[in-house]
Amino acid sequence: MPKIEPRRGKIVIHLLGRKYEWTVEPRYWRNPMIGLALWLTLPLLIYATATSVFHYHPIALLSTLIFANLLIMMAVPFNLQVIGTGRLSFGPHFFLAVGGYTAALLSRDYGVSPLLTLPAAFFMGAIIALAISPITIISRGVYYVLITMLLPFILGEITYWRSDIFGAETGIPNVELLFHTTGNVTLDVLIFVYVSLAIALVFLFFVDRTLRSRYGLMMGVINEDEDVALSYGINVRWIKIVTFTLTSGAMAISGWFLAHYQGSFSGPVWLMPSFLIMVLLTATLAGKGAIYGVVVSAYIVATLREITRVSLGEFSVVVLFLILLTLLYFLREGFWGLYRKRRYREYEPSIRVRRKT
Amino acid sequence: MIEMLKVSNLTKRFGGIIAVNDVSFEIKKGEIVGLIGPNGAGKTTLVNLISGFYSPDRGKIEFNGKNITKMRMDERAKLGIARTFQNPRVIPNMTAHMNVLYAILGSEHGKELTMTEAGAEAIYYLDLFGLLKKRDVLAGDLAIYELRLLELARALALRPKLLLVDEAMAGLNPAEAEAVSKLINRIRNEFDLTIMWIEHVLKVIMRSAERVLVMHYGRLIADGKPEEVVKKPEVIEAYIGEEEV
Repeated sequence: MPKIEPRRGKIVIHLLGRKYEWTVEPRYWRNPMIGLALWLTLPLLIYATATSVFHYHPIALLSTLIFANLLIMMAVPFNLQVIGTGRLSFGPHFFLAVGGYTAALLSRDYGVSPLLTLPAAFFMGAIIALAISPITIISRGVYYVLITMLLPFILGEITYWRSDIFGAETGIPNVELLFHTTGNVTLDVLIFVYVSLAIALVFLFFVDRTLRSRYGLMMGVINEDEDVALSYGINVRWIKIVTFTLTSGAMAISGWFLAHYQGSFSGPVWLMPSFLIMVLLTATLAGKGAIYGVVVSAYIVATLREITRVSLGEFSVVVLFLILLTLLYFLREGFWGLYRKRRYREYEPSIRVRRKT
Repeated sequence: MIEMLKVSNLTKRFGGIIAVNDVSFEIKKGEIVGLIGPNGAGKTTLVNLISGFYSPDRGKIEFNGKNITKMRMDERAKLGIARTFQNPRVIPNMTAHMNVLYAILGSEHGKELTMTEAGAEAIYYLDLFGLLKKRDVLAGDLAIYELRLLELARALALRPKLLLVDEAMAGLNPAEAEAVSKLINRIRNEFDLTIMWIEHVLKVIMRSAERVLVMHYGRLIADGKPEEVVKKPEVIEAYIGEEEV
């Protein structure tokens, strides 16, 4: 039985012979709470004011928010994967497609409900990741980039080769939606915004807890110097494999959401390099290992994408990437770097020691 | 004294070069053993083989009677083998405190500690090495002397049984070298450590080590008390070179 021991400023949980500690620091809650409140009210504000204030159909704006949340769902586990494996993968969208196809095929062909396709998508992504996880140990640098880059290309080819199963560009139709529609399309989209936001929040919570745990700190060492991590006695292989497997499974959940949001799933759309670049830019603009920066950068990337798409049409991708690359040039440490520099002490644990005289 | 480390017929090749050639020796518990030799003698390779950084092509390594030849570096660290690096390999983007804290959290005994307890222990080690005032300084901003101390603090924080010190004096001035030498001797006594110490500064090794191993071209050419070893002709030849007639 776990024993909970409240102490000053923290709670210590004794479980299975180990001690787990959760530091409770209310003085650091204000800003995250303000951020969370803004984030939660933004969809409602847009829903209420899109037509009158922005002279824009709310569905288009709400869809942008869904895309931003999708980027968060991808970039948050992606960031954790980069930290825990010490490798930069170019195939996160492969796992999105794996999750999407798993959910869509199970739903269409076997009538499995979205509640059950969720764990199925996660496990399929995780199992495939586990099978290929030795690449995080045996390859590094450009070899790792090439191997991970090939995965989405191979899956893309398979979708055309076995179009009878995967439906190529058309994709897999008739996938059950996450919930019964209300009859009001705009309201349905608003609900989808909140579902995607909830998933993004759950991801943020788990990744935040992981990064603050001792495993998160070990991941940090692996990311900095694997040899040093080994000399500390850290089982680098184990942490890399577990991180790669679980974060890939988490990315597959993004595919699950897409399949049940759109009512269909077409892999080639998401296996395009342009989507990969969006995810990479979101993660990079957020700042190194900064999961909360991902929220800011995802909303900026998604908004810029929508603005350029509407105003520039075919040239949108070129202009969008130019804007994002310019931002990247001026924000070397990402959006979170700006905030973190001002409030450095909040994110580095510190211990005060009083000498006995 | 009880035998702690036993190395038998250890060989490591890199292509056509034999970096360590059929080396055998033993280290007893509580000893400070100096490992000396000219550049390229294979000293660091030997430390890399013992710590698990490299796997040998031939030979056997036993630690406290256990065959560790095929063990990974992290498994050896858990058994109690810690090391420092010739070029300090700290984590530059983290503070001195975090560098030691991470070592504690990665270690076997660290699993029993909460983050706060581990943090306090890290402070203890920083204080021991005179780095308390530098605890919030990024390791990348530390001077070479402080980096050497931080590496030692970090290695000691793993609570090792055998500490492999790889050229802790490199880049230090005589006063700093003297201070580090005293610290190494102090921690040996206070923490009941066994130390294998690679060094170029012979004077320090002669004073601190109880036994000296001499390597040349990958081979162990001498093993004995410091004052006896330096008189051996093969050691003089390795260091000074053959006299031309």
